[in-house]
Amino acid sequence: MLRLPKFNLVSPKSIDEVVQALADSKGRGRILAGGTDLLPNLKHEFIEADIVVSLGEVDELRGIEVSADGGLSIGPLTSLADIASNEHVLRIAPALAQAAGTVAGPQHRIMGTIGGNVMLDTRCQWINQSHFWRSSLGFCLKKDGTACHVVEGGSRCVAAASNDTAAALASLGASLDFQNAPTEHGDGKRTLEFEALFKADGAWNKKVTPTELLTRIHIPATPRGHRGGYVKLRLRGSIDFPLLGVASRLDLDEAGKIEHADLVVIALQARPTRVRKAAKLLIGTTPGQANYDTAVAQVMDAAYKQCTPLPNIPGDHEWRQEMVPVYVKRALAAALG
Amino acid sequence: MGARDQHGSGAPWGDDFRAVGKSLRKIEGLSKATGEAVYADDIVLPGMLHAKTLRSPHAHARIVSIDASKALALEGVHAVITGADLPTKYGVIPWTKDENALAVDKVRFIGDEVAAVAAVDEDTANAAVRLIEVEYEELYSYFEPEESLERHEPAIHEKNKHGNVSKHVELDFGDVDAAFASADVVLEDDFVFHGSTHAAIEPHCAVARTSADGLVTLWSSTQITHYVQREVSRVLGIPQSRLRVIQPVLGGAFGGKSDPFSLEFVVSKLALITGRPVKMLWTREEVFYAHRGRHPMNLRYKTGVTKDGQITGVDAKILIDGGSYSSFGLVTTYYSGQLLTGPYDFPSYRFNSTRVFTNKPPCGPKRGHGSVQPRFAFEIQLDELAEAIDMDPIELRRKNDIGESTKTVNGQRVTSNGFGRCLDEVERASEWKSRRGKLPMGAGLGVAGSMYISGTNYPIYPNDMPQAGIQLKVDRSGLVTAFTGGNDIGQGSSSVVRTILCEELGLDPLDVRVVAADTDLCPVDLGAYSSRVTFMVGNATIDACRKLRKLIVEAVAAKWEIDAKRVYLGTGEVFDTDERETKITTREAFEIAEAFHDTLGSTGAYNTPTLGGDYRGGSIGASPAYSFTAHVVEVDVDTETGMIDLKNVWVAHDCGRALNPMLVAGQMEGSAYMGIVEAVFENHRVNRFGLHSGPSLLDYPLATSVDTPELHALIVESIDPEGPYGGKEAGEGPLHPALPALSNAIFDAVGIRLRELPFTPGRVLAALREKAAADSQTGGTSC
Amino acid sequence: MSSLIALELMINGDRMRVSAEAHWTLLELLRYEIGLTGSKQGCDKGDCGACTVLVDGKPQLSCLILAGTAPGKQIQTIEGLQPAHRKAGGTGLDPVQDAFDRCGALQCGFCQSGMMLSARALLNENPTPDRAEIREALSGNLCRCTGYTQIVEAVELAVAESVGAEPKTPSWAKDKPWTESLSSKKGGGDQ
Repeated sequence: MLRLPKFNLVSPKSIDEVVQALADSKGRGRILAGGTDLLPNLKHEFIEADIVVSLGEVDELRGIEVSADGGLSIGPLTSLADIASNEHVLRIAPALAQAAGTVAGPQHRIMGTIGGNVMLDTRCQWINQSHFWRSSLGFCLKKDGTACHVVEGGSRCVAAASNDTAAALASLGASLDFQNAPTEHGDGKRTLEFEALFKADGAWNKKVTPTELLTRIHIPATPRGHRGGYVKLRLRGSIDFPLLGVASRLDLDEAGKIEHADLVVIALQARPTRVRKAAKLLIGTTPGQANYDTAVAQVMDAAYKQCTPLPNIPGDHEWRQEMVPVYVKRALAAALG
Repeated sequence: MGARDQHGSGAPWGDDFRAVGKSLRKIEGLSKATGEAVYADDIVLPGMLHAKTLRSPHAHARIVSIDASKALALEGVHAVITGADLPTKYGVIPWTKDENALAVDKVRFIGDEVAAVAAVDEDTANAAVRLIEVEYEELYSYFEPEESLERHEPAIHEKNKHGNVSKHVELDFGDVDAAFASADVVLEDDFVFHGSTHAAIEPHCAVARTSADGLVTLWSSTQITHYVQREVSRVLGIPQSRLRVIQPVLGGAFGGKSDPFSLEFVVSKLALITGRPVKMLWTREEVFYAHRGRHPMNLRYKTGVTKDGQITGVDAKILIDGGSYSSFGLVTTYYSGQLLTGPYDFPSYRFNSTRVFTNKPPCGPKRGHGSVQPRFAFEIQLDELAEAIDMDPIELRRKNDIGESTKTVNGQRVTSNGFGRCLDEVERASEWKSRRGKLPMGAGLGVAGSMYISGTNYPIYPNDMPQAGIQLKVDRSGLVTAFTGGNDIGQGSSSVVRTILCEELGLDPLDVRVVAADTDLCPVDLGAYSSRVTFMVGNATIDACRKLRKLIVEAVAAKWEIDAKRVYLGTGEVFDTDERETKITTREAFEIAEAFHDTLGSTGAYNTPTLGGDYRGGSIGASPAYSFTAHVVEVDVDTETGMIDLKNVWVAHDCGRALNPMLVAGQMEGSAYMGIVEAVFENHRVNRFGLHSGPSLLDYPLATSVDTPELHALIVESIDPEGPYGGKEAGEGPLHPALPALSNAIFDAVGIRLRELPFTPGRVLAALREKAAADSQTGGTSC
Repeated sequence: MSSLIALELMINGDRMRVSAEAHWTLLELLRYEIGLTGSKQGCDKGDCGACTVLVDGKPQLSCLILAGTAPGKQIQTIEGLQPAHRKAGGTGLDPVQDAFDRCGALQCGFCQSGMMLSARALLNENPTPDRAEIREALSGNLCRCTGYTQIVEAVELAVAESVGAEPKTPSWAKDKPWTESLSSKKGGGDQ
């Protein structure tokens, strides 16, 4: 059996206890939510931990609520299966429900959490392997090595953000509450706009540290005419990570004209890719009318030019690029149902 | 009694079958349903140590030195062994013993075994493995078979006489060149078949224990208990009689557990050294390195037909990528040519097959050993020929059906043959005539056929002893226990034995036990490979039953003072056919027989008749009976993404007689699944470093329940004259047509010919673009 | 640097006191400490589903659960399925187990502990799933033997019998094959 390395385990009961345990770990702690990402990564030994801090008993991290403004307030420990089937999420943030429903396989969605998917580590065919495997080619930039096997001579890790829900949350303009242990400088709390979380470094693609606790996910209210969709490219109909994922957002006015449009692509590089300029071409058009179809064709073309997948995750990257416009089109169709 | 006796194909008493043909539960099914069944890794022995392997990080290197002192010094470590402790070479084929349990002098692929540690637990063993220091001198590595064909220095196996060529076979039958000259259409094309692996869900595991008097017991997840016993005893230098090999319940194999593997030697050796039980369980990654999967092949086929559809001749040239060791490669090389000569009759044929070594995980026998790849190429070519002469592809196949009671061009005897009915069945069930060529753009149907062996008369090591033996013990309680060397790997071989005992002796299934695959207790059977088990173990079981029944009938007849012919063994009872009220229970009959004869039992055996062509290699691929299969595959091709949606596979298979239709259907469906998803999802390959590109069940994706098409098993029964009640194999033949039928269906769907596996979406899209470009030049339409 | 933790677990309805190292998974604890070896290890890291157990009634991968996080949850393994069925007043096996056996779904059997638990969880939530729902619910459990057909047929048989409907006859069968038995015409756990 592929063994987990040794570590200590703590199971605090409150957010305050969690952040204290993480602070005490001096950077050698890791947060355990659903375990479906952390445990394989620990087994592969590119994530190391002296202490694993389990969130399982922190009930205040669970739950889906409609906030006062009509948006959503989601506890990060909520399972992906619950997100996918929750009536409020389906109504207010349909792209998120669809994205959560395509993550991995049924058991992963029951175990895996929305917070865990947001904080999912980047993936690459050269890193998600055992210590022996990685050692036999001298490791790589992401961990223990100095070379990148994706981009020859590359100096920055290009492992891909592979979290389906990130594309949806970005399109929904979500924000995230994080908490560190309080210090003399402050209470340790901060809120980040969703996209501000990510940076273009696959080695660690977040602007928070691995020991900063995500405590809440906020999704602003969506207008009545909101439509959202998520489509995922993968070889199998289950279990697989995305080879490409596209979240779409179309807010329609009462006449059915697009007032606001957004597209976010995942699984290209270290951070989600917003196809903002292209999406704007849709504004002012009306689905079902010729101007919309023309705009969609332009958006597909623009997205193709903007999105260049690398041979980071498994699969033919040239084919993945060809699939960008196809999946952009399908994501828009998914939004309109 | 003669092992080659014919038992006939009917019920033993000439009336209807009572157990044969019934879909009885599997003998071990309920123990699997409740989780009670004990697999190798479920065995835990007191004081058991855990072993781990140090593997080579280099594809090809000389071992300069190994220093295990730091590992040995670690608390909890009990022994470290290296190649020097197990220097004897082994291999499943006696002529090509080129493996060591742990590398001696050099390593030949990334993952090759170098050293092993026994420690108090897995964590300690892993820590110790990392403390072993090995100095390597790297050698030039071969990753492309074409290069191994040309370049021989450095040799991957220095002692091999032919450089990096593992095996070369050239055979020809009839005048192929004249056949092409007389053909109206001759097509010649290149085909590429990729590597794939078995990926049984149970990883390999072995446990060894020694006793104070020097006996060694080895439990291993193997499908070849007997060969493991032979090779482990030889390498360890202990008599076979003192090594007991037991196959626990096995979690799938498909040919992936039919070589002796490093871990079996290592745990036995470590148990002998430490005096404690030792277990080794491979990680999934290690299973990928052990491999023995389907050989990648580059195939060139040339086939001629007349305009009325008669095949005139076939010419094949095949380059086989063997990976780093021989394994079954000698047989693979022969099979790549020898097994193509049915179900179609062609008057001339030649093949030229070469297997080479490369520095990759070793290939071996995966379900449909050696013949799935040629079948892929040939059945696509047949489809193209049908198109060229404007003939329905099923009709072309029907026209060339070799028929029954005949001989193939390479001298193989064909007895029963239900291929024509297989074609009829898939044609009917798929509504071929009304749907093929008429489905909307993107949807299509494709057909292919195949033939496969039911065991072979080549017993791996030459000997005149039976290939299958069985022993029956009769208890006065009414219980009969069968002891068979046959390996039940999940396919149901022990259930077949039980069905036959029920049939022959009138027993209730609950009054039969089967003890299998334990070399101390069971007569030799050669193992679960070559689709030999139902045919050979089945015949041996009938043989033993007939002998036993004779004893029982004789005793009861004597007691009743009637002619033995009047004694009838019904289900649970024995009666006088002339006076039905004279009747006793089976149990009472056993008591009478035991009193009459003393302790009751019998043995049975099977050996093949002399078969095969009269030329070197003519017996390889010679089988006492052949199974036949036809598939129709239905697909939906997404022309935007290139992704293939597998909709339906109709699988018609001639299994002779279905001894248990439910188990036959399970084999047919499992085979069809394994073949078709291998074409779409799987690719066992190494990256530019020679490292397996993704040795996990995530990166090597097995189709899930939502990816697998609806499988429709259609059983065809040809009733073989020599099979048990007419039975033949069902475990491997039904895989073959899946891949070419898929390619042919894609052609029907979107008009592209895919001759290179795997059918990745990128490849499909590229072919669609090529076709569109060609169509626009010629002004043709798409599809 | 791994602490030994004392755990109180609820496994198959029984309260158990065991100890485990912090880095042990629930699968290791079940198999090697408690001796419930029905849960299988096939891939090491959540790719195959062979280790599936029910946690508070839902299928989860025991190879990705730390043993130390299991207290407070109801764990059900394959060994607990029949006893739970009996405790609830049933006889014989859980209908899922029985149907799997009668339909030939148990070839090598290695993936089937997890498969049957996924099927049981599905039927608890949705007693009459259609074929697509069955395939979806089982799509996290890899089987390499069957091609899934006999598995899907088994779940459909269990569903049909639970509602008194006529089960579908498989393509290869002349009649309803799972009623066949030598000693009695009746299906079920009679042999």
